[in-house]
Amino acid sequence: MHSVAMIRKELVAASAEPLVLSLLSKGESYGYAIIQEVKARSEGRLNWTDGMLYPVLHRMEHRGLIKSRWGESETGRKRKYYSLKKDGKLAMEKHHEHWTLVHGVLSGLKKEHYV
Amino acid sequence: MSDLEQSIADWRRQMLAAGIKSPVPLEELEIHLRDEIEREKKSGLDEPTAFQAAVQQIGKANMLNNEFEKVDGIKEFGAWRLIQIILFAGLGVISLFITACVIFKLGSFSEISSSQQMSGLTAVAVMILLAGGGYLGHGFFPIILNKRMRDVICLSSGVLMVIWWAVFFNIILPRFAFTTSQLGATLLWGFAAPFGAFAGFVAGLGKAWRKNSTMASS
Repeated sequence: MHSVAMIRKELVAASAEPLVLSLLSKGESYGYAIIQEVKARSEGRLNWTDGMLYPVLHRMEHRGLIKSRWGESETGRKRKYYSLKKDGKLAMEKHHEHWTLVHGVLSGLKKEHYV
Repeated sequence: MSDLEQSIADWRRQMLAAGIKSPVPLEELEIHLRDEIEREKKSGLDEPTAFQAAVQQIGKANMLNNEFEKVDGIKEFGAWRLIQIILFAGLGVISLFITACVIFKLGSFSEISSSQQMSGLTAVAVMILLAGGGYLGHGFFPIILNKRMRDVICLSSGVLMVIWWAVFFNIILPRFAFTTSQLGATLLWGFAAPFGAFAGFVAGLGKAWRKNSTMASS
């Protein structure tokens, strides 16, 4: 996943899996919608090169974290929908735990810095 | 065909030329491209500009293909690994069976002498050393990133081994009037030791590539 703007590409790449898992935990979705939602939620600062999402999705599917099915949108357009599997839910919880830990450490250090 | 459809067809050709496979994932990417074109048009862009913007947003064909190849590599690695395990386990069991016959003087090998036993066991040790040495000495193997090239090399070494076995069983063995007990050690030298060399070679080559690809993706 490559960033074209604000957030470093390494961070964008590292956050791709937890973000996709968390989005799918709300219900099944497809590539385009996932990207639009990430962009909207990050106010455009997490800018993925769209196509790079698909290898990430395929890799997660191969690892058994998510599953896919072909379906049709309301407008009749063919779409590939992805949904979370049990292992994906566990992986998401792990990610949340780790990111919360990193965030906690960072916030603590920041507070000390300003004391 | 409209201009847009023509442009999309050209884009598909570029993707295919870069190695992106059809229908999956190319179809999925095309659906995404069409969604993005629609969104860009709704935001006020004309069709050609919307198409250009969507193409840029979806990413360069080569860059995407590199990422998809990594995913394919993981999948193929799983299947290839299974084949390797089955093949090596099968041949390993045959070698162990002959070894057991030689050690415990089973069946037709009841007359085997202790020097013949030693020779047989040396052959087995050579097999294990060659196989293990190849795996552990993967650092000495070249890193071949091209999967097809790696497959061809492994397959060729397998064919060489089978040719040697054919020559050994059909030409060399019949020329000597081996007693059954002599046959045990000879079999281990002719069958098991070359198998060890092959196993070590394939394992070393595979491990060298895996180590490199793990480092590259981390």
